[in-house]
Amino acid sequence: MTDPTPLVRIDGLSKHFGDTVALENLTLDIPQGQFVTFLGPSGCGKSTTLRILGGFERPTTGRVLLDGEDVTNQPPEKRQVNMVFQDYALFPHMTVAQNISFGLELKGMGRDAIRRRSSEIMAFLELEDFGARYPLQLSGGQRQRVALARALAPDPALLLLDEPLGALDAKLRGQVQQELKSIQRRTDKTFFFVTHDQEEALTMSDRIIVMNKGRMEQDGTPEELYFRPASRFVAEFLGETNLLTGRMRGTEGGQIVMDWQGTTLRGKAPRSLPGEGQPVSASVRLEKLDFHAQRPETGNAVQGRVVAKTFLGSRMALQIAVGDQAEAMLKAYVDVDTSERVGSDPVWIGWDPDHMAVLND
Amino acid sequence: MNDRPELFRGNRILLGCIYWAFVLYVFVPLILMVLMGFKDSRFIGFPIRSWTLDWYVGVFANTEVLSTFGYSIAIAVLSTLISVFVGTWIAVLLESRKFTGRPVIFGLTVLPALVPGIISAIAFRIYARWLGIEPGMGAIIWSHAVHNVPFVVLVVMARLSTLPKSQMEAARDLGADPLVAFVRITLPYLVPAILGASIFCLLLSFDDFVRSFFLGGYEPTLPVLIFAMLRSGMSPEINAIATVALIMTAGIGIWAERFTRRMKKDT
Repeated sequence: MTDPTPLVRIDGLSKHFGDTVALENLTLDIPQGQFVTFLGPSGCGKSTTLRILGGFERPTTGRVLLDGEDVTNQPPEKRQVNMVFQDYALFPHMTVAQNISFGLELKGMGRDAIRRRSSEIMAFLELEDFGARYPLQLSGGQRQRVALARALAPDPALLLLDEPLGALDAKLRGQVQQELKSIQRRTDKTFFFVTHDQEEALTMSDRIIVMNKGRMEQDGTPEELYFRPASRFVAEFLGETNLLTGRMRGTEGGQIVMDWQGTTLRGKAPRSLPGEGQPVSASVRLEKLDFHAQRPETGNAVQGRVVAKTFLGSRMALQIAVGDQAEAMLKAYVDVDTSERVGSDPVWIGWDPDHMAVLND
Repeated sequence: MNDRPELFRGNRILLGCIYWAFVLYVFVPLILMVLMGFKDSRFIGFPIRSWTLDWYVGVFANTEVLSTFGYSIAIAVLSTLISVFVGTWIAVLLESRKFTGRPVIFGLTVLPALVPGIISAIAFRIYARWLGIEPGMGAIIWSHAVHNVPFVVLVVMARLSTLPKSQMEAARDLGADPLVAFVRITLPYLVPAILGASIFCLLLSFDDFVRSFFLGGYEPTLPVLIFAMLRSGMSPEINAIATVALIMTAGIGIWAERFTRRMKKDT
């Protein structure tokens, strides 16, 4: 982010529709070559941002700079930005080849150059055999590839993808995720991907921006977001987690000290600290809990009892009741061997303070 | 529950009978008309003792009838071109965005289709005289075009409303300005609707009597000519002309229906 002229600079962008605020003061730099995902529930402002970048909406305030040039008021046809639409928006009266050539023709390319470029891109996306077909004669996955080919053909500086995997079935989606990521690497294009699917975001992105109610919640790598969520919203939106709600005690050696169910726990500090005695919550991922017969020497530890086990194939999910009267529940993922070792006797559950993120609510 | 299928079967038979009664009601007059055109006698009625094609030979040798046919077709084609152009324009305008007064504009557009023919014909006649337009081909084309615009608007708007918004956005995204996007994406999408509306306009114009009668000059259109011939007495020649016109219009209508249906399925 120290790049003097990033490929895309989003500067104080807001969008209001009447009284509804779709986007509130978003500022962001995207360097060339990144796979950036905008993640969030519907109405979080991710699609609005995408449509502003594509030129389909004008922001209420703020600017969009592309390669240092202000494009905020440029119509879509003037921008070096192409989009893969959610419904693909392939032109039904044109063949696959004609669909792909459309953007090239409008760039004013010569006949031979168009043919060369479109067959190059069709070969790249393994569409050579479908050039003469019409979109209606293709399967969902093939249509998705044609939409991608059509958007990549004019060689855009930025490619926008609006939930392009939503219409595919679950099995195909996994495969296309890998494909998309590898296409992005091989073309070295900047991808701006919008989705509400956290799994999609985690598998493909170099960087995820989590949006909520028109605001940016967190901006980071998938690992950062998953293991060091900055807010309760991010922790709950990405994967499953144990949320421990306790009371703030203070800080000690860069760590937060908090009380939870009569036990003192330590965790990583958030950006802003809650005051002493204030309620505070913390997130521990299910796979970060360890099981011990004796109280572990270091780290956080609580005593509990396994009350339910669920077999998930590659691993087991355990439900643990904490405290004498089972005041709190924890969930954990363990391998099958560990789960066999753990009976119904009381057991010590431990985790590294580095794996517990104290959250801003 | 058990007697329901029985009841249903009874209903089906009844519905079938009503349907065939309706078909007979509609087609018997047409069949009689066609048959009389082949009867070797000036007297219209049964029994038919001998058959002839003389009436058809007579019609095709009659230059007045032939030129009237051509005249009617020319009026139909020209008025259709105008209605399709104006109607598509209005449809695109009305469908592209919501603006205040849109319902009023839509209502005014559709109104000509609802005004009784005789009233609109008289109104046109008065208006034409006031503007100094001579009765004749131009006046007829004008009145037909105005009358047919609402049908084009309705058909094209219906089609346009099914065009996903993303289609135009995709075209713009790939570098098309609004005009290019309209010509390359919207128009091809509208072709089935425009073709269907055109055929409908052609048939409406070809068939029109009232407006053609009130706004016509010395040259009659086909329905006006038939009317004039009837006044001098019923002749099997009229049956022959009517049969030719019937086959033409029904043929075009059926072909157009199937053609547009196939096109809509393709896109």
